Amino acid sequence: MAKILFINPVVREEDDPRHVPYGIALLAAIAMREGHLVQVYDENAWRKGPQVLHSVFNADRWDVIAIGGITTAYGSIKNIVRQARRECPQALIVLGGGVLTSLPREMMGFLPEVDVGVVGEGFITFPEILAMLDAGGRDWASIDGTISRTADGGLFISGQRALLEDLDTLPYPAWDLFPLEEVYFPNSQVLFSEEGMLAKRRLDINMSYGCSLVCKYCYHLGIAGDMRYETDANEDIQVAFDQPKNYTRSIRYHSPEYVVGLVKYAREKYNIDFVVFLDENLMTMDQYSKRTWMSEICRLWVEAGLQPTCLRDGIEHDEQCTGVHWSGTSHATLCNPEILKTMRNAGCSHLVYGYESFARHVMKTIGKGATPQTNLRSFFWTLEAGIRPIPNQIIGFPNEDFAAIYDNMEAWKKLGIVVKPFFATPYPGSEWFTVYRNRILEQYDGDLESYLLDLGDATRITAVISHNFNAVELLGLRELMLNFDYKRIRAYEQYWRNNHGIKDGAPSTLYREPVQEVAVTKITQQKVATG
Amino acid sequence: MSTLMKGNFTPAQAVESAPQQADSLEQRFEKEALKKLGGSIAFVAKKKVLWGDEVDNQDATE
Repeated sequence: MAKILFINPVVREEDDPRHVPYGIALLAAIAMREGHLVQVYDENAWRKGPQVLHSVFNADRWDVIAIGGITTAYGSIKNIVRQARRECPQALIVLGGGVLTSLPREMMGFLPEVDVGVVGEGFITFPEILAMLDAGGRDWASIDGTISRTADGGLFISGQRALLEDLDTLPYPAWDLFPLEEVYFPNSQVLFSEEGMLAKRRLDINMSYGCSLVCKYCYHLGIAGDMRYETDANEDIQVAFDQPKNYTRSIRYHSPEYVVGLVKYAREKYNIDFVVFLDENLMTMDQYSKRTWMSEICRLWVEAGLQPTCLRDGIEHDEQCTGVHWSGTSHATLCNPEILKTMRNAGCSHLVYGYESFARHVMKTIGKGATPQTNLRSFFWTLEAGIRPIPNQIIGFPNEDFAAIYDNMEAWKKLGIVVKPFFATPYPGSEWFTVYRNRILEQYDGDLESYLLDLGDATRITAVISHNFNAVELLGLRELMLNFDYKRIRAYEQYWRNNHGIKDGAPSTLYREPVQEVAVTKITQQKVATG
Repeated sequence: MSTLMKGNFTPAQAVESAPQQADSLEQRFEKEALKKLGGSIAFVAKKKVLWGDEVDNQDATE
């Protein structure tokens, strides 16, 4: 049996560690189920640096060092694998997650210390790697879903790994292996709702994988059916994601029984009082199930005694409330008043809506399948249900213009929205990245790795893809928007128009691409919730 | 004695702080969220919402 060290790299260094890494927790549970010896060192939680990592690497003779994360963890991963190679020359270093999947060839080039990469979902691929290691083999190329090094120094991408069909075969996450009492429970607060603010013992759960929509800024980690293997002119396999008018999706979700069973287990074992559902879009799943999935989860939630007492008794929430509140993600067009009320009754406190923009001409170009009108409609439905809508916004879309800025400010004022918008960011794996790759590289002197190291959570500006505004303009405009400073924005618009030779009254844009319709997506479903 | 005002003489009238009402849970939340505004932290100031907007269903299906 292999002796495995999982390491969770640092992510969002500017914030406290708040989320147990769900993927690593699942892979650790799978590895233990297969009989392997597992240790986890959560560097994101502890943030102790290279000295403690030195002790961790030398705490035993590791057969495998497994590391993974999202793209913005790249800087930390780079440091950790370097040290791991130096200190554990015998160990097989395996890298997975979104960071590897979006750019497998580039990542293996940037990180020569990594022996094998897991492309896409690791639930089957990773235990197969462990089994091969146990058997004394090293033929990673024969395992689907890997990228490995060839004898001549090249890279080999094996066959595409099929997604796990029945998600309910997954074990419960190995939460015990993470510092819950020391780090994660003290950081339980989520400042999105009153109930989230008072949360004392929160855990996060993923109850579905995928999203039917084709937002051009989204990257689905290769686990939403969004990943395709294509052969290039040199007969080499390239991993591809969303491209204009070329989208694929798989919809997968756990059964309501699995979800509620997991929450009940977490309640009994850890006395949790809040769950954040990390799912990309709960409403996609609900619509796909013909509106049975979410309501069945809510019914079972109440039946299992998880409904918060404040809702059961119809009183205001306070510290004395017992039960489990929860939150998740919604979609402006796919929600409806009935399901929102049902969710509230079961304990839903807030739903994250990527409203993105209240400008019709912007919304038409982003593939979201929502409009300013559906944004408004869902906003009021959600408030009426007693749930807080989290109205996320983005500035710097390719066709963002002054009209869009005014539309957004009007909506914020009318709806009481208090927001500091994200900057439109073309993350690797997204359609924007594919479309604007050359433009991104121009902004980083052709150095892709510099761009990866610069990426954060889109609160800072990185590569600009706006056709109308540069980084300085976007930063300034955002600040003026926050202060509802129409006077200065209008004055700058005049200056901008003079600079670009665009007359008053004409659209304030240099964007000339035709507006694309939301493309029809090829969707397959791999597990139907039975309820 | 109140220390709200400081000076080198004693004013004719004492200034006392008015008793403050404790914030409601909603007010507490919105104040806390405002302090951390940015990134994914955004919120609706419920008292500022203008209710009663009609939504055009034809536009909504666009």
